[in-house]
Amino acid sequence: MIKKILLLFPLLALPNLFAADHQWILKESTLTYHVSHPLHQTDGSSHAARGKGICHQGQCEFLIAVPVKTFDSGDSNRDLHMIQVTRGAEFPMVTVRTRLPEADSTASSIKADLEIQFAGQSASYKQVALEVKTEGTDKRISGIIPATLSDFKIEPPSLLTMPVKNEIPIRVEMTWSPQ
Amino acid sequence: MNQAGKFLSAAVTIFVLSLSLLFAQDSPPQQTTGKLSGIVTDPSGKVVAEANVSIKNLATGETRAAQTDPSGVYQVAGLPAGEYEVSASMGGLGASPARVRVSPGAQQTLNLSLTSGPAPTENLPNAPSTTKTEPSLEDLGFSRTETQANAAQQALLDKRTRMLKIHQRMGLITTIPMIVSVVTSLNAGGKSEGTASRDLHVALGALTGDLYGITAYYAIRAPRIPGAKKRGPIKVHEALAWIHGPGMILTPILGAMAFNQKNNGQKVHGIAAAHGPVAIVTAGAFGAALLSVSVKF
Repeated sequence: MIKKILLLFPLLALPNLFAADHQWILKESTLTYHVSHPLHQTDGSSHAARGKGICHQGQCEFLIAVPVKTFDSGDSNRDLHMIQVTRGAEFPMVTVRTRLPEADSTASSIKADLEIQFAGQSASYKQVALEVKTEGTDKRISGIIPATLSDFKIEPPSLLTMPVKNEIPIRVEMTWSPQ
Repeated sequence: MNQAGKFLSAAVTIFVLSLSLLFAQDSPPQQTTGKLSGIVTDPSGKVVAEANVSIKNLATGETRAAQTDPSGVYQVAGLPAGEYEVSASMGGLGASPARVRVSPGAQQTLNLSLTSGPAPTENLPNAPSTTKTEPSLEDLGFSRTETQANAAQQALLDKRTRMLKIHQRMGLITTIPMIVSVVTSLNAGGKSEGTASRDLHVALGALTGDLYGITAYYAIRAPRIPGAKKRGPIKVHEALAWIHGPGMILTPILGAMAFNQKNNGQKVHGIAAAHGPVAIVTAGAFGAALLSVSVKF
């Protein structure tokens, strides 16, 4: 009888090994785009991103979204032009999706494949290098996404007849908390 | 003003009118795109809000996304002409893809009816998650106003940008005759007795005034965006208009008075003598306004 109970015990424990679903919530973030022009270097930042990660069977699916209109470059005229040229009224959100192995949460650097939707277009960025720092139970992630205007079919704005550069690298700094 | 001066002024006026027509023709965009809109309903015929709509260009494979508003209406503007495949989904309901042809400058309507059954969500961006392993936009708690498309506001922004681009170009063009007018002023007044330099200065001043008027028109008439607060260099740019705007009215008035005095063989005197300083202050404010939005200080 005792032997039967001992044999049954691992079988009862098995479901718990896979009942390890948990979630990550984006606690705080700063997303900053950089635009280069011969006369101007401009940065626009947003702290309004929200994100969630769901981990299931060793894989985590992340979604981060931020409203286009929350990016602030310090110049309201420039920000309105940015919203117009990126069709931000028609496509108000920038979304980023990625899938990471759960084991990456313990690594100090990771490489992520990102799927970004912006200005009504989708673009993929493979193997984007991200740094991971642990702060208690939180994970602080930072990196640069090598985005370009042409990836999202955005016509380069111009000032004094000179267009801005195609490259618009986006610096991300995020703090994720386990839920 | 002598005959040569009158002719020059007339020629300048005709040139300015032609330029304004050129920009007026340039301002409306070429109609190479069309619009698509429609209503999404559920099996009972009720309108569906926040339904995800996917619009795929069959020629290029490019996919655009939209969401229905509280009235179940979706709207997409700026679609290049061609054949499109449109589908919609909401929760566990989906509408089979339907084809529509979008023509340039035309408004097409395609209504979609959701049916029960597997929802075609794989290709729809930001679709609600059908599994527990994938978060969705709804999970993040953004409000409807933050995630919903606003085609009317996009059209307003497009018009604003078009007009401010013309304002920018005209402002740059205006600086040329303005600078030359200031330079020719050196021989136009004072002890100078000749009329040729004075006539040239008058003609250039008239040209500057006309171009300035067109520049100001496009700035004043550009749509304002509701809820947008002014911050940064644009506040300085607009504040300087309160100097060069009145200056551009006062300068030609004082200039006309000075011109008449010189033509009558008098030395420029009285209030007419302020024409030069007022013109310099006006040109300076105009230049500062241009620099305020061009260079980062």
